[in-house]
Amino acid sequence: MTMSEPIIAIENISKTFTSKERGKGRKRKKKVEALKDVSLEIFDGEVFGLLGPNGAGKTTLIKCLTTLLLPTSGTAWINGFNLQKEENKVRASIGCMLMGERGLYWKLTGRENLDYFGALYYIPKNVRRERIDYLVDLLELSDFVDRTVETYSSGQKMILAFAKSLINDAPILFLDEPTVTMDVHAARNLRSIVRNLNKEGHTIIYTTHLMAEADELCDRVAIIDRGEIIALGPPSELKSSIPQESVVDVEGVIPESARNRIVEIPGIRTAVVKDETNGKTMLGIICDNSRRVLPKIIDVLVEEDAIIEYISPQEVTLEDVFIAKTGRSLSIDTREIVTPKDAGK
Amino acid sequence: MTAKTVHKNLGLSEMSWRSSLGVTKTVLIARFKIVLRYKGAIVFDMILPVILAALPILLGVAIAGQAAAQNFEDATGTENYKLYMLIGASTFIVVTLMLWLVGYWIRREMETGTLESVYASPAKRVEVLSGVTLYALIRSLMAFAFAMVVGSFIFQVDLFQGEMALALAFVVIGIIPLWGISFAFGALILKVKEADSLIQVMQWVVAFFMGIFFPITVFPPFLRYVALSFPPTWMTNGVRASLLDVAYFFGTWYLDLAVLLAFAAVLPLVGYTVFLRTERRIKKNEGVGQF
Repeated sequence: MTMSEPIIAIENISKTFTSKERGKGRKRKKKVEALKDVSLEIFDGEVFGLLGPNGAGKTTLIKCLTTLLLPTSGTAWINGFNLQKEENKVRASIGCMLMGERGLYWKLTGRENLDYFGALYYIPKNVRRERIDYLVDLLELSDFVDRTVETYSSGQKMILAFAKSLINDAPILFLDEPTVTMDVHAARNLRSIVRNLNKEGHTIIYTTHLMAEADELCDRVAIIDRGEIIALGPPSELKSSIPQESVVDVEGVIPESARNRIVEIPGIRTAVVKDETNGKTMLGIICDNSRRVLPKIIDVLVEEDAIIEYISPQEVTLEDVFIAKTGRSLSIDTREIVTPKDAGK
Repeated sequence: MTAKTVHKNLGLSEMSWRSSLGVTKTVLIARFKIVLRYKGAIVFDMILPVILAALPILLGVAIAGQAAAQNFEDATGTENYKLYMLIGASTFIVVTLMLWLVGYWIRREMETGTLESVYASPAKRVEVLSGVTLYALIRSLMAFAFAMVVGSFIFQVDLFQGEMALALAFVVIGIIPLWGISFAFGALILKVKEADSLIQVMQWVVAFFMGIFFPITVFPPFLRYVALSFPPTWMTNGVRASLLDVAYFFGTWYLDLAVLLAFAAVLPLVGYTVFLRTERRIKKNEGVGQF
């Protein structure tokens, strides 16, 4: 991708929420800093990924940029318009898919929904009609577009919500987890359409929990954690910041004692529980040289009576970048964290 | 201000007065499409005032018998208590529908996520709210007209008496301040994120103060002033005074109508300003999508 001029320039945006904490009959006001002084440029014509665990601030940032929230401080320019002073022009410059299958009128048909939102974007009626026909063909909606949305499957609602975000053919598209609840075929189709839209010149801001998806689609990604951008760059560049062969995934029944001992092995930087279901654990281990530490990891697991179903050095993913930067899992931020510092406590 | 980014087109958006009207029209049509897909919703609105008026009429007959009309004339100036009740119940349904429909629109859109979609679009609030309130207005006027006609048959009263045109003028002008009140009410729902109990309470407070079944002259002075600060009270009394031998508050129709006009000039602006300010305050914190 050739870098062009920025189409979105974010300058020192901070966002603080005030919430009420309830407990033992008393209410206390609590301030939560969702975004801390975020500055960022997104270039015209790029697919930009925004990654981070739940509660990291991705949605807050997107809501600020789409004018749904007012930043506590800072500002942004979008398509040449100031976020706070030219709100309507900012809105006309963007297409949004922010709430998945929500945000549709269930008692209207898909076509009526598209027409409704087309009118809200000030699209003349005849243009609207042509655009809807075009989107029906592009997204293969013809089988259900004239039925009321209440009869749709989740995947059909998602694809209609995606169509809604394209109704105004805006130069900038915000897509927040667009493939959630879609089947594999529909998700692949959507990614291919996103790529084509990008080739046509649209700038796309894409949030996803699927690292492979971000890796495949995005020219650059920003990893956001606790309201701050902790990594920014092309996926390949970010991944190369972690030495190759430094990630090992272990799956099986792994006792806590084994996890604690693994992080004490020289050359292991951190071990994070990536997933835990039905008593089985997926452990992601970041180390200096996986080939060298692999036998030692196996020794510990055997000594601790772990049942190993799968163990393999992995290619570095964006999730590993996040783990390396924060010591925590990207997909499940509340999971147990085991670091050398905590081990043995 | 210097643009700090590249500037491209606005997609297919063409901002003009025609497209602004298009927003209001589309919202209005969509509202009707949605309500018509709920079977019977509109019919129930129309029947309600007739039932509401029937309660005090039958109660009056049961308690006072043949003397009901005479007793009522002593208190109100007219013996036609049936039409008096019917007017009260029908104007009440106009007021309550305006509040219900706007209040519930906001609440429901919050819950379904469509409010955020509306807010993410460039359409101005006034255009969208005009569509919603116009829908509420048409629906409430349909209910008003239907209830008056059907009620006149059921209760055997003659609608075509007194100054019909003047009565209609009171209804039409009386609805304009309701626009403002419904904007302010919408702002309150946006803020408290609850509609049911608020509307339940509001509608009976409104019913009480606008005197749907009794003249507000029976109130003690303080409550009378409260009732007079509420535009629907003037609307109801204006319609009654135009059709029946009930006195205008200021003795003449034009002074009462002038008061209603003053409300009509001020309240929509006040209501809209309150709505925008509330919306801004909410966007400064959790946003309109939180419910």
